Amino acid sequence: MTTMTRGGFASAASSLEFNTGGWRLARPEHRGRHAPCETSCPAGENPRAYLGAAADGDLRAAWEKLVEANPLPAITGRVCHHPCETGCNRGQYDEPIAIHSIERFLGDRAIEAGWDYPVGAPGGDAPAAAIVGAGPAGLSAAYHLLKRGIKPVLFDAQPAAGGLLRSALPPYRLPRTILDREIERVIAAGIDFRPDKRIGRDISIEELRADYRAVFLAPGAERPRRWSADGAEPARMRYGLDLLKSWTSVGDLPVKGKIAIVGGGNTAIDLARVLKFAGATEVHVITFQALPGAAAVPDAMSAVAREIRQAVEEGVIIHDHRGIRRLIMRGEKLEAVEMVHMREMDDSGRGRRLVAFEGTETILKADEVIPAIGQEVNSAGFESVIGRGPFFHADRFGRLADHAGIFAGGDACGAAGTVSGAIGDGRRAARAIEAYLRGTAPPEQAVIEPIAYRHLNLSYFDHAPRAAAPILSASERSAGNEIESSISQAGVHAEAERCFSCGECMACDNCWTLCPDNSVLKLAGAPPGRDRYVFDYEHCKGCGICAHECPAGFIMMIDEN
Amino acid sequence: MEPKREGISVAALHHQQPAFRGLDAGHMACPGCGQALGARLVTEAIGPDAIIANATGCLEVFTSMWPRSSWRVPWIHSLFENAPAVASGIEAALKAQGRQTKVVVMGGDGGTFDIGLQSLSGMLERNHNVLYVCFDNEAYMNTGVQRSSSTPHAAMTTTSPRGETRMGKRHLKKDLLAIIGAHRIPYAATATVAYPSDLRAKVRRGIEIEGAAFLLVHSPCPLGWGHDGADSIEVARLAVQTGFFPIVEMERGVVAGVMKIREVRPVADYLRLQDRFQHLFEDSREAREELQHLQELADHNIEVYGLRADEPHPRDSEGADTVRRGGMRWS
Ligand SMILES: Cc1cc2nc3c(=O)[nH]c(=O)nc-3n(C[C@H](O)[C@H](O)[C@H](O)COP(=O)(O)OP(=O)(O)OC[C@H]3O[C@@H](n4cnc5c(N)ncnc54)[C@H](O)[C@@H]3O)c2cc1C
Ligand SMILES: Cc1ncc(C[n+]2csc(CCOP(=O)(O)OP(=O)(O)O)c2C)c(N)n1
Ligand code: SF4
Ligand code: SF4
Ligand code: SF4
Ligand code: SF4
Repeated sequence: MTTMTRGGFASAASSLEFNTGGWRLARPEHRGRHAPCETSCPAGENPRAYLGAAADGDLRAAWEKLVEANPLPAITGRVCHHPCETGCNRGQYDEPIAIHSIERFLGDRAIEAGWDYPVGAPGGDAPAAAIVGAGPAGLSAAYHLLKRGIKPVLFDAQPAAGGLLRSALPPYRLPRTILDREIERVIAAGIDFRPDKRIGRDISIEELRADYRAVFLAPGAERPRRWSADGAEPARMRYGLDLLKSWTSVGDLPVKGKIAIVGGGNTAIDLARVLKFAGATEVHVITFQALPGAAAVPDAMSAVAREIRQAVEEGVIIHDHRGIRRLIMRGEKLEAVEMVHMREMDDSGRGRRLVAFEGTETILKADEVIPAIGQEVNSAGFESVIGRGPFFHADRFGRLADHAGIFAGGDACGAAGTVSGAIGDGRRAARAIEAYLRGTAPPEQAVIEPIAYRHLNLSYFDHAPRAAAPILSASERSAGNEIESSISQAGVHAEAERCFSCGECMACDNCWTLCPDNSVLKLAGAPPGRDRYVFDYEHCKGCGICAHECPAGFIMMIDEN
Repeated sequence: MEPKREGISVAALHHQQPAFRGLDAGHMACPGCGQALGARLVTEAIGPDAIIANATGCLEVFTSMWPRSSWRVPWIHSLFENAPAVASGIEAALKAQGRQTKVVVMGGDGGTFDIGLQSLSGMLERNHNVLYVCFDNEAYMNTGVQRSSSTPHAAMTTTSPRGETRMGKRHLKKDLLAIIGAHRIPYAATATVAYPSDLRAKVRRGIEIEGAAFLLVHSPCPLGWGHDGADSIEVARLAVQTGFFPIVEMERGVVAGVMKIREVRPVADYLRLQDRFQHLFEDSREAREELQHLQELADHNIEVYGLRADEPHPRDSEGADTVRRGGMRWS
């Protein structure tokens, strides 16, 4: 230490000896918060994490962060209704991040490049679990069990895995090559797949339980819900999902005239589009739900909004807030349907009730009426565990109340009805199954409040347009060609850079640049991110500038009194 | 100590920072001091081969607590009124020795707009190769917030209180830039701590230029302005976005460039955060008129400097502080 003499000069920054940190009333701390994209992803992805890696240019690291939660990104990137984007904070600023486009790009890149899933083989003495149904729920459970070091044995009644993805989702939005390759790769990661095995026919659930201490049931909902108009049913009624399944397996569908489809879900919309592509003169969709709008509609149709929009572009006619009151028959043949204004209304606390409004009837000419109003579990073989049905009653981790060791998820549990929801169910159930098999503490549900838009400092961001995927115009579309294509790698990078990194350090250097007391210090060699910065509490006076100016809301002032 | 830097001493870490910082921690500035930040940002842009002559004022006092110093470059304080004269002498001596060391003056607005104005004028007139940086906190802060000729109209200080006949300061803020411009020096500019990249770029330009250069840095003072220390940057940013403090560059006394305002905000957004303007939000005729007066002054700035942006630009009031992952923006 240089000593000071009159007329002398100070050695460099000798004031570091004054510990101005003692003045502080509150200290800044790094406090990571969950981003709304993460808390609203049903599959449990953390888009912020993989967007960060993509912005840094490391696509493989980005994919690995993505498949932490979701083993089927090439698929969900195409078919998910992406509530992550509805939740995305950037949507309140200009337009949400095109998360699904990046998810899809990463999924496709992993397939092309043959990146291995980051899972190891379970040890020889690892416990095993049985999974029934190789749809997205079952595949996800199997994959996550594998990640947790448990041997997954996956049974399906069909010769190939995929569930509804294979049997019902049309190739114009999920090409078979992508489906086949992604699912093959997940299975090759270490899943023992047993095709052509129907539980309840080839193996009983009791046999399964004798062989495996834990069983995950994900048989989906195979059986169409019955439909009739005032008790009347045409002699040969064809149900929507059955038609769609036969079309996907045969590739063709005999159709003529005017068709009226009842229902507002994905089956109704996909079937309508397939029939339109196949040459039906008019295709009408009749639903008591509402057309989705720019703002959230409480009783919106359950089909993916983007698909509804495209169906309308292709000429499908949607009658929203309508129901069918009566079928007008000439003998065996359908002449027309009588529509009526219909809405689901609140039944004074006793749930919801469908109300038809008298005096609003109209007649719609139709040659066939096809119900597509939802499915329920085909309970054959599951009678001993499904209770009163028609769905399994599982908690958030798939646990069935009175059946220790049996877990369920996906469409078989009724609620979700989406691919990403099924993937999330499988993921959470794998946690519960592992805890059950290893006798560790069972997982508990935590309520997570994501970081709100107002906690970001938006001065530090600039407007930039959202990446738009190229899309075929309505006249160029056909049933067999994918309608939407991928964004470019440059587009992925630009889009990832739009991410606000809500609640997590983006290594922007603001705190380091703006602290009047040089009390945010950088660590040499640390990767870009939260580990790069430390607070010097010996000098920090607690002014709060760093917290206020952190664009990502990653710094919080903590009272020290 | 945080776990991630276990084993490294604070002093060692301060000296391992990736950018040179001529002003370090342990100084006695108030929490959230805009001037402390501004001075450090200036030293980052000048680098270690520099001599600073500092006029009397907060900066001089809070960085030189006997027997310590927060400076990492040679630094001299003589008087309030003569810092430019001291710098002129240093520059002449270095020139005689054939040395390239940069000479910089730092002073407050009291030291610049009022007390040191004649020696500053002399330095500019003789066109010494010196950069003069004034940290404008718009009053004599070190002696307890007395008005200066830089204090904005209607702001309250201890010597321009809100009284029975006056709503804060009676007179207008002196147009110092016009006076500086009249010396026809090669370069003069305004900047603010809210836009560090712009500030550092202007310091570099002022240093590169052969001859006298002048930089006025808007520097919020939580104590004197009566805002929360955490809001110092916010306040400074709003001063720019409202047109209250125009960011401009002059070459030989002619306006050569301005930071355009993309989204012009009402001055009330800026004033509301500060106690020195609180009386303008009273429910009275005088308050309403003075508030409108400040709005008109800001509009006048926008008009005479042509501050309103026609289209978005990366260096306008919204684009100039956009951050990027990995900190590339500020480097
Ligand atoms: C036409 C259509 C379009 C859709 N579009 C979308 C969309 O765009 N986006 C979206 O997110 N969701 C969409 N969905 C919903 C989505 O497909 C389902 O929510 C999802 O597939 C449910 O996954 P799961 O694994 O629970 O069941 P499933 O996918 O139904 O898989 C169940 C599997 O279990 C097998 N199985 C059944 N019973 C047995 C048994 N007893 N023994 C052995 N195996 C059995 C079946 O063979 C099947 O392979 C759509 C659904 C349909 C019908
Ligand atoms: C000739 C002279 N007059 C008065 C003082 C007392 N004095 C010391 S600091 C100061 C205020 C400085 O104000 P300013 O230059 O605006 O800088 P600030 O403290 O606001 O940063 C005054 C009046 C002095 N030191 N010398
Ligand atoms: S799975 Fe769906 S909700 Fe989740 S990140 Fe992907 S697109 Fe978004
Ligand atoms: S801006 Fe990024 S981190 Fe924030 S919600 Fe959107 S995707 Fe997630
Ligand atoms: S800006 Fe600096 S002094 Fe202020 S709270 Fe943050 S670290 Fe502390
Ligand atoms: S200001 Fe930037 S570098 Fe600092 S913590 Fe926040 S995001 Fe990270």
